[in-house]
Amino acid sequence: MKISMKQTLLVSIVAAATASAAQAEVNVASWGGAYTASQQKAYSDTWKEGKVNWINYNGGLGEVKTQVESGAVTWDIVDVLPSDARIGCDEGLFEELDRSMFIPAANGDSMDEDLMVEAPNDCVVPQIWWSYVPFYQEGTFSGAQPTTIADFFNVKKFPGKRGIHTWPNAIIEMALLADGVAIKEVYNVMSTDAGIDRAFEMLDKIKDHAVFWSSGAKPLELVQSGEVAMSLAYNGRIGAAVLSEGAKFVTVWDGQVLEEEWLVLVKGAPNAEEAKKFLIHASAPEQQAGQARYINYGPMRKSAFEIMKAGEPWFHNGKNIMEHMPNRPEVMPRSVVANADWWADYGDSVSERYTAWMAK
Amino acid sequence: MTTQTALPEGPILTADGIPLKDSLQKSLRQNKLRAMFLVSTPLLFLVFLFIIPIGNMLTRSVDDTFINRVLPSTIEAFESWDKVSEPPESLYSAFVNDVKAADKVDIGKVSTRMNYAKPGWKSLVKRTARKIKKLKGPEYKDDLIKIDKRWADKEFWLSLGIMKDKATFGYFLNAVDKTYDFDKNIIDVEEERKVYNTLWYRTLLVSFIVTIACLILSYPVAYLLATLPMRISNLLMICVLMPFWTSLLVRIVAWMIMLQQNGVVNDTLVASGILSDENRLAMMYNFNGTIIVMTQILLPFMILPLYSVMKTIPPTYMKAAQNLGATPTLAFIRVYMPQTIPGIGAGCILVFIVAIGYYITPELVGGKDGRLIGNMVAYHMQKSLNWGLAAAMGSILLAAILLLYWLYDRIIGIDNMKMG
Repeated sequence: MKISMKQTLLVSIVAAATASAAQAEVNVASWGGAYTASQQKAYSDTWKEGKVNWINYNGGLGEVKTQVESGAVTWDIVDVLPSDARIGCDEGLFEELDRSMFIPAANGDSMDEDLMVEAPNDCVVPQIWWSYVPFYQEGTFSGAQPTTIADFFNVKKFPGKRGIHTWPNAIIEMALLADGVAIKEVYNVMSTDAGIDRAFEMLDKIKDHAVFWSSGAKPLELVQSGEVAMSLAYNGRIGAAVLSEGAKFVTVWDGQVLEEEWLVLVKGAPNAEEAKKFLIHASAPEQQAGQARYINYGPMRKSAFEIMKAGEPWFHNGKNIMEHMPNRPEVMPRSVVANADWWADYGDSVSERYTAWMAK
Repeated sequence: MTTQTALPEGPILTADGIPLKDSLQKSLRQNKLRAMFLVSTPLLFLVFLFIIPIGNMLTRSVDDTFINRVLPSTIEAFESWDKVSEPPESLYSAFVNDVKAADKVDIGKVSTRMNYAKPGWKSLVKRTARKIKKLKGPEYKDDLIKIDKRWADKEFWLSLGIMKDKATFGYFLNAVDKTYDFDKNIIDVEEERKVYNTLWYRTLLVSFIVTIACLILSYPVAYLLATLPMRISNLLMICVLMPFWTSLLVRIVAWMIMLQQNGVVNDTLVASGILSDENRLAMMYNFNGTIIVMTQILLPFMILPLYSVMKTIPPTYMKAAQNLGATPTLAFIRVYMPQTIPGIGAGCILVFIVAIGYYITPELVGGKDGRLIGNMVAYHMQKSLNWGLAAAMGSILLAAILLLYWLYDRIIGIDNMKMG
């Protein structure tokens, strides 16, 4: 019995070793759920050169920093938020990449020229745009329906609780927009103490009606169960519920805050060469557009957008996707693109104030 | 006496001619080495998984050497500036030279550190560092101000005063809502940014309430377990242990379903007419939610030590007390309870220590006023990457637990504690 167990163990180790030698494996840490499922379908299922292990993580660079500082790196690629994309590159947690290796657009533009937003550094590889956006369930309000970000902060006109997240990103911008600040002026106003005070005065109006959430699935639950009348949520979660599950959610496309999402290569990644090949594949326009077949986050490359527009109905179950895209031309003028540099400077101090505000 | 042979000169020898003292020492040393070898594994384990990480945490919470290493001449120039006049050219050129000489990654890291002292440093250093290589000199002041007008702001330069020393208590101060002003005097942070003291207070309060609630709920259960016939008590024991073996997340979600505004409990109360639809109880996503769920989760930590102590108390003691004329209540209070104190102590300390560092439950059910200090430690470790602050909070928690342990030892005696 003992011997047979040993043998089995040995055989399986040898098998595992040969398997890994035969096919390159790349470890990619991403957010899980429908989002990773869409990446899997669009990027790894279409990648014939190797195998991708998708690992779930909950954001933040804590894990990456631990791996790099201890020298025991196990992740190759990480899917990061705009602020982490900048901090990680500045502090040497990510590899800088040769920009010429990426696949240009059909019209000849290089990848960086093809982006809808300027790449902040040479570490980042385009992923998607996602947004914080308010939504409610059909039939929640009788009479007039909420159509602007100001309506979200107006509990007199639209009574009921509001679901908001436990960190200050986006909600500070939204509060100022609701208070009448012009989109172009938002970050200038936020850079003054008076501006932040003004945002918190607006937040005070919904303080007693606020229900706080910290995981992306929560706001849908809150709205679905009637726990809150309106909530902020990630646009992809709302879209997934509407497009795939037939939920009766209505998104208020006004005053949304768009955030970038990037892929980066971890410094000292164990499978760096394969990982680079995978990054080239994943950032190509076809794959970028392909991801939108499975989730309504907006690709960063303009050329991917063209492919989607031409291919409508683009969503995998035969529905139109463009009206659920956060970065479609019709809603861009009514949206704020999050300024990650502002958040890198003031994020900590605003977070403290926001936490204090929540606790009061 | 004269016939007796004289004692040999020098030390006593063993049979093989080695001095006895050396031989003894040798065998003792061998024993010691063998013992050392046996304990070396646990010792290494202790060093690598306990002492080094904790030492590292304590160091991180005060270490401030990095900026001195990356910007040495800037700090030097700052020391020779009188802080009253406008920042001199020497300061600007020292900064430019330091940045030119430094590694790009180090500049990124140092700007993060500087941003803790004054928000804005990060983008200022980053934007400047990108263009600094092109500057020719020898005068840099105007060039820098041209790159970013904030360079003319004296406040940024003055904030170097907080960072110039090699060790700082800044992180500890930050953890208790204090900060340094530019002259390194300790001051309160602005009123609307005070968050940590409330959280410390709340963490202690929650841990305290949870401990007491656990004690009150566990005592009768443990008593039943210890006194009922084996057949029934085994079944009861499984009821206690089943939730203990169930995933933490499953239990938390179960509580969410039960207690939320449109949950099972509220629905039942409304349906039975006890509550009106508008007055549904808010039991979840707040302070109450944290207390209820944490109590349920930590119950076994109290029941098990209590049970193990109660099991050893012979039932004859209670009978004897009653035989001698005590009422059942008096016998329970005077005879039974005092014997369970080691179990109470162990259970309370165990529950309190686990509760004080809890963060996943408050994160999920705490909502706006049920979050604890553990959530802030996790936040600073994972999201803001301010490991110094996280380390300072961890150190304070560690100190609190050690203090508690010491108090327990003084009041009840640590030898008295029984874990089971």
